[in-house]
Amino acid sequence: MTSSLLNTFQQNEHPMLVVGDADDRARQEFVKSLKTYIQQDILPLVQNAYQTRATAKFNKTHEHDPKDYREAREAFADDPIFKAYLSINRSSQELQWFSVIDGIEGEIAELEKKAEAVPKAGGTLKIDEGFVVPKYISELDIHCMPGGYCGPSDVSKLYTGALYDRGVYIYALGYMGPNNDDMGRSVCNYISRNYPDFKPTSILDMGCTVGHSTLPYAELFPESEVHAIDVSEACVTYGHYRAEGLGLPVHFKLANAEKTDYPDESFDLIVSHILLHETSKNAMPKIFKECMRLLKPGGIMIHADLPPFDDMDPYTQLILDNETWYNNEPFWTAMRNTDQIETAVEAGFKREDIKFDTAPMAIMELIGQSESYSEDMAQELTDREFTAGEYAPGGGWEVLIAQKAV
Amino acid sequence: MNQHKVIKGKRPAFYEAPESDYLMHMVMVLAQELSATRDRLDTLEKLSAQKNQVTAEEIESYTPDQATLEEREARRQVFLGNLFSVMNQESAELKARDSKSRFNQVIDDIASGKID
Repeated sequence: MTSSLLNTFQQNEHPMLVVGDADDRARQEFVKSLKTYIQQDILPLVQNAYQTRATAKFNKTHEHDPKDYREAREAFADDPIFKAYLSINRSSQELQWFSVIDGIEGEIAELEKKAEAVPKAGGTLKIDEGFVVPKYISELDIHCMPGGYCGPSDVSKLYTGALYDRGVYIYALGYMGPNNDDMGRSVCNYISRNYPDFKPTSILDMGCTVGHSTLPYAELFPESEVHAIDVSEACVTYGHYRAEGLGLPVHFKLANAEKTDYPDESFDLIVSHILLHETSKNAMPKIFKECMRLLKPGGIMIHADLPPFDDMDPYTQLILDNETWYNNEPFWTAMRNTDQIETAVEAGFKREDIKFDTAPMAIMELIGQSESYSEDMAQELTDREFTAGEYAPGGGWEVLIAQKAV
Repeated sequence: MNQHKVIKGKRPAFYEAPESDYLMHMVMVLAQELSATRDRLDTLEKLSAQKNQVTAEEIESYTPDQATLEEREARRQVFLGNLFSVMNQESAELKARDSKSRFNQVIDDIASGKID
């Protein structure tokens, strides 16, 4: 165990959250425990097997250590510890979604009624007919979530958002905070601290799913109008009711970040959180260009996503590359091999106005929001080093920032 | 089997023998179910201790009524569906004629720009 503390993080309840009955919750707790065990206790065994027998075996035939993730995979593919790790990890992902599905299927009728009764907070929901979901979202069920972001066609529009809301909390082992909002909260803090004079009055969150990262903007920039778009009707629909239930006004819309119908220069701030790696080679440059079009002069775009592979050792690259092949993340590795700075330059941002930085995790500030988020746990989390294969980053989230010239 | 518990995208093969892929997943489901049962038992024990009500003898001699029989059978069927979900996944892939080559093609197409 790298951790001496037990992870007993619990998700905050809200009117739209479905956790299921006592057995469903116990199964979900088991998945959280299993994932914790895999990451803290099994991963070190995997790393050891790689550094010892896999590297030695590779050296016999190649006379050098693996140089990148492709060679690392060649060296490690047949290792029994690696295979067991991959298959257990895959099953943990399947059990996670399945244990949430059981609860949702038992409570979906009740959830529909709850949505109708949710108090109004001033937000809106706009769904345009004839919207076409991009294939990079629909070809594979990303994260192995059954039905994918858009969900199966034969269920309530609230089903898939409810599945994502609860499933992601378990997936993140609670490290995203009791409201799953640490990424948004961290970027908000980053903006306030690094751009103290920047007071956005209009904010757009691209690829918002159910609005986990969106809501901190509505909470922490109360003077601003907050808009949020996603290509999943199911996600924005659930997100709308969730936001209303939590008392925060957000304007959700079914829209593709590559091309929206907002007028030019509509926003002071455009953000995204773990959106870019769910897109494609063709979509990412279009999204940056759309940000350039939609930003007011002096406006800022911030994409919180994955750091490039460049500076990582081959083993770390390999463990991360597994997401592509074993967790249905088609653009995960290709995105890390894309030059994001160059992509932003091509979209019209000045090179000197673009940079990568780290937004420190806001989780320390969540202490006291609920009993399970103790000071010790939060401190331990922020003190961690980044370890491939674990959910949360060490200390902070990677952000790409570009400011539009005045 | 619950057809909502199927994931689009060919499930990877981890072992030489496909049966081993089934088995590892089934062991994980069993572990999950055992863990859930232990949690429920723990709840029962803690509540019983507080209320000083249920005894081991009473548990031993309990006879389920018809409604309970139905409830338990329904629960076991769901459990078995979970246990064998990995085979259900494969069956759904066969029906949809899904393949590892289509999976690889999607990854290539997204990286190369063939898919918008």
